[in-house]
Amino acid sequence: MRLRIPAPPTEAGFTSRLRSATVAARVGLWLGICFGICFLTGLISHYAQNPDQPIPFPTSPSWGYRVTQGLHVITGTASVPLLLVKLWSVFPRLFIRPPKGLRALAVEGLERASIGVLVAAAVFQLASGLANSAQWYPWSFSFRTTHYSMAWVAIGALVVHIAVKLPIIRGTLTRDVDDTTYDRESATRGSAMSRRGLLRSTWAASGVAVLVTAGSTVPWLREVSVLGVRSGDGPGGIPINKSARAAGVTASAVDPAYVLTVVNGDRAVQLARADLLALTQRTETLPIACVEGWSASGAWTGVRIRDLLDLVGADRGSDVEIGSLQERGAFSRSTLQGNFADDDRTLLALELDGETLSIDHGYPARVIAPNRPGVLQTKWVDRIEVL
Amino acid sequence: MRLRVLLAALGALAGAYGAFLLLSRQDGDQLVNAATWLAAGVVLHDFVLAPVVLGLVALGARVAPVAARVPLAGALVVLGSVTLLAIPVLGRSGARPDNPTLLDRDYTVGWLALAGVVLLGAVVAGLVRSRRQQGRVQGQQQGR
Repeated sequence: MRLRIPAPPTEAGFTSRLRSATVAARVGLWLGICFGICFLTGLISHYAQNPDQPIPFPTSPSWGYRVTQGLHVITGTASVPLLLVKLWSVFPRLFIRPPKGLRALAVEGLERASIGVLVAAAVFQLASGLANSAQWYPWSFSFRTTHYSMAWVAIGALVVHIAVKLPIIRGTLTRDVDDTTYDRESATRGSAMSRRGLLRSTWAASGVAVLVTAGSTVPWLREVSVLGVRSGDGPGGIPINKSARAAGVTASAVDPAYVLTVVNGDRAVQLARADLLALTQRTETLPIACVEGWSASGAWTGVRIRDLLDLVGADRGSDVEIGSLQERGAFSRSTLQGNFADDDRTLLALELDGETLSIDHGYPARVIAPNRPGVLQTKWVDRIEVL
Repeated sequence: MRLRVLLAALGALAGAYGAFLLLSRQDGDQLVNAATWLAAGVVLHDFVLAPVVLGLVALGARVAPVAARVPLAGALVVLGSVTLLAIPVLGRSGARPDNPTLLDRDYTVGWLALAGVVLLGAVVAGLVRSRRQQGRVQGQQQGR
């Protein structure tokens, strides 16, 4: 018996009229918009996490980062159906025979390489971003570095792609979706679904993708976001990113010998939690907005960081380093830039929602500042040092 | 043409900057791992997902009644893509025993509910479609 090896597919073998440039350009337009928003909001998030900020990251509006990072994850999620349909609509082009002639071959090769980079980068950004939002890290590379680098690669390859395809993009977007000017020669077979039907299904898929996930950051969507990474529940109505156990502070956080040390050069003040509670208490309603895209607002009560800095005579505008009982990890300490340290809303929080801070929220004391990535809202704070 | 050349140059510059960032900030093992992931995305799409979708569409064309094909294709686009993007939560690989606030929903039930709603929508759309087509045929017959 002879085994029949199926012939590799050819471009001419794909005959559906649905796989057309008019569909690709329309889906591609929205995909491009989503990628653009993802890129810009990603740059904002990356900058907000930089300890050195030549242009100070603004402290207002307090919900700014909550919106930009929520948008980052929402547009990334919406991109998944768009990318899948976009790739489906141009899939036959993968099997176009290479042209004859060295020059034509080189041009074709270059274009294909740029498409390869674009597809690899686009799939990678969406897959790694989604896994990160569910705190799933099945890789050994650094997520932040790689996601940030590949964002530049993806946006660069996208701009090259737009430059190459600009005449077709213009031509298809100014014509009706059923126009056949830019159709492939073999794409003549009508199918049950129309091009308009395919587009409508794609928009519906993106809409559903957003509805079933965005409740992690949009409170009124919680009930319908059945696939959201968080329901929004947690101690004091706020979810937790890193637990006390994961940070290795279960013993040190409840140690009665705990003191907060505030240092400015050779001046230092030590305060027990009772001393902190004896200082003027302020309550601020501020969101925790995580890089993973979830966010929740809470009423935090505690001491103004600026009041603590005044105890050691720190100049206004000084950057401050926040140290934590957490010993390992990139975020066991953070830099609080001068404008954040001086903001009246920036607190060393001791309570959340009128109750003593839970250990997973950073008991005995944590930083809460407006318009800041959650990873920098350092928990289990035991040291504040003026830089 | 000048705009296109300018765009292409800008894009190439941004891409080169990204490649430089990628290569200069991590060690060799991490880069190999990142490269594997980059390649895996393309391979999984082109050689696994795309053929599976081709197979599903071919199967649908053979077994599904004509009136159901369009709603089924729509359901495939919606449910297929949303299921793919929900793999990290459906797999629950990021769940941790010390953090009950993370991945704190029953995602299997959630997915089943979503699948039910999408399929119900498809059935309703199919019924509306076939009734409309019947109406059109009757209209044509009466018009004769």
